Amino acid sequence: MTLNSSRYILRETVNSMKRNPWLSIASVITVMVSLVILGFSIFFLANASNMAESFESELEIATFVKDNATSSQVDALRNQILEMPGVASVTLVTKEEALQDFGKTLGGTQSNLLADLGGRNPFPDKLTVKATDPKNVVALAEVVAALPEVDKVRYGQGFVDQLLKFTQWLRWIGFGVVAAFSVAAIVLISINVKMNVFSRRREIQIMKLVGASNGFIRWPFLIEGLALGLVGGAMAAGIVGMGYNSIAMYVLSKMTFLPVVQNDVLFRQVTFGLLFSGMAMGALGSGISLQKFLRA
Amino acid sequence: MIQLTNVSKIYPNGARALVDVNLKIGKGDFVFLVGPSGAGKSTLIRLLYREESPTRGQVQINSKNLVRMKEREVPYLRRNIGVIFQDFKLLPNKTVFENVAFALEVIGVVKREVRTRTRATLELVGLASKETSYPHELSGGEQQRVCVARAIINNPALLVADEPTGNLDPDTAWDIMDLLYNINKRGTTIVMATHAKSIVNKMQKRVIAIENGKVARDEEKGGYGYDT
Repeated sequence: MTLNSSRYILRETVNSMKRNPWLSIASVITVMVSLVILGFSIFFLANASNMAESFESELEIATFVKDNATSSQVDALRNQILEMPGVASVTLVTKEEALQDFGKTLGGTQSNLLADLGGRNPFPDKLTVKATDPKNVVALAEVVAALPEVDKVRYGQGFVDQLLKFTQWLRWIGFGVVAAFSVAAIVLISINVKMNVFSRRREIQIMKLVGASNGFIRWPFLIEGLALGLVGGAMAAGIVGMGYNSIAMYVLSKMTFLPVVQNDVLFRQVTFGLLFSGMAMGALGSGISLQKFLRA
Repeated sequence: MIQLTNVSKIYPNGARALVDVNLKIGKGDFVFLVGPSGAGKSTLIRLLYREESPTRGQVQINSKNLVRMKEREVPYLRRNIGVIFQDFKLLPNKTVFENVAFALEVIGVVKREVRTRTRATLELVGLASKETSYPHELSGGEQQRVCVARAIINNPALLVADEPTGNLDPDTAWDIMDLLYNINKRGTTIVMATHAKSIVNKMQKRVIAIENGKVARDEEKGGYGYDT
């Protein structure tokens, strides 16, 4: 492609966009909206799964030993669990320690407390089991609960499942909304390009007549689609980038305990991803409307 | 230069525009296509620059087969064929100069060459003084000259014209014919479909009459042959 042709193509692209300014604006905005939603969904999901992970890593199985078990039996039980596959650690909290802890929270002394409780320690021995993989928690808990010395086990039953279900659900909704807006954006761009093809049909007819190559005729329209998509993508990247940063700052200052994702790599990937998606939408939109018209 | 072999063209609606046409046109020839409206003249013209393809048969130009030609080769065929229309087909928002230069711009000719060749061609068709005018400011004859200039600027070996004088008064029509005569003198083959009886009779060129999609008459130095 010569410099001369590139100049011609660029000029035609600009003219083309000027011809239907409102349609161009509408296309850019739809691209932008779809990509803003996509961008925020990605960040939201990243945070949700990050949160799920941090909760999961804190998951442990509290194993309560039967009251009549002797301390040697408790030790044996502890070793038995420790040897099970998938167990990371087992910590013993004896009934005496549990009572002591309880006493500390009340601010009294142990002897008084024991006497107050009628000389009988109500706390069982507790083995805190940590799994190497949070996914194994449920299965491990069931095995441990089946041991004869074990009275009952307690872990974050249901909570993890619900969190994962929630993020899954969110993922589908996000996906649906993004897909719908993407289709709308692609259709709008293709209408935009088609209208420009129509308003230039006479010119195109003559171009074909005097032997302009199909590629040459297509370029301005293709670039127009790409440019519309790119502008929409850039705006979306700006909005998502600044929006997420300020939201993250706000959350970090107000709710310091929440694990907010601040990952530069993810940030860059999302930004470039949005730019690229915008261009892809533009190319797809103009490609659809250009597919037929040069065949005649 | 041009060879049509057993060419038939049947449109999707069933209309038989051309039926088993065989033709040979030599390099440098000037040929009139005559015949009643709807006889198939325009279809034949359109086959020559591959605006259409025949339903059956072969079309060859300079030993290139237009039927077997790939879609991406068509632009390069057309750079060697000039086309003139009854309605000129000029771009209304471009000046005379821009309209003619357009034919070079869109095939990637460099700017300086576009300028010199456009000037020279406008000189040739006698429109050098009108290069900054817009089509609507010109007479019909002048507009047709612009169309001719655009058709010949690439020095095509073949010039096809579909009723180029159809919208012009007799005097202006003769101006255009003089122009085409001179272009033909320089070696360009010309195929012209026309209803202009007096032009055909006076020019004494080869005349091919098409009737009902068939070649009804083909004579050197022929006349129009129909009473209008």
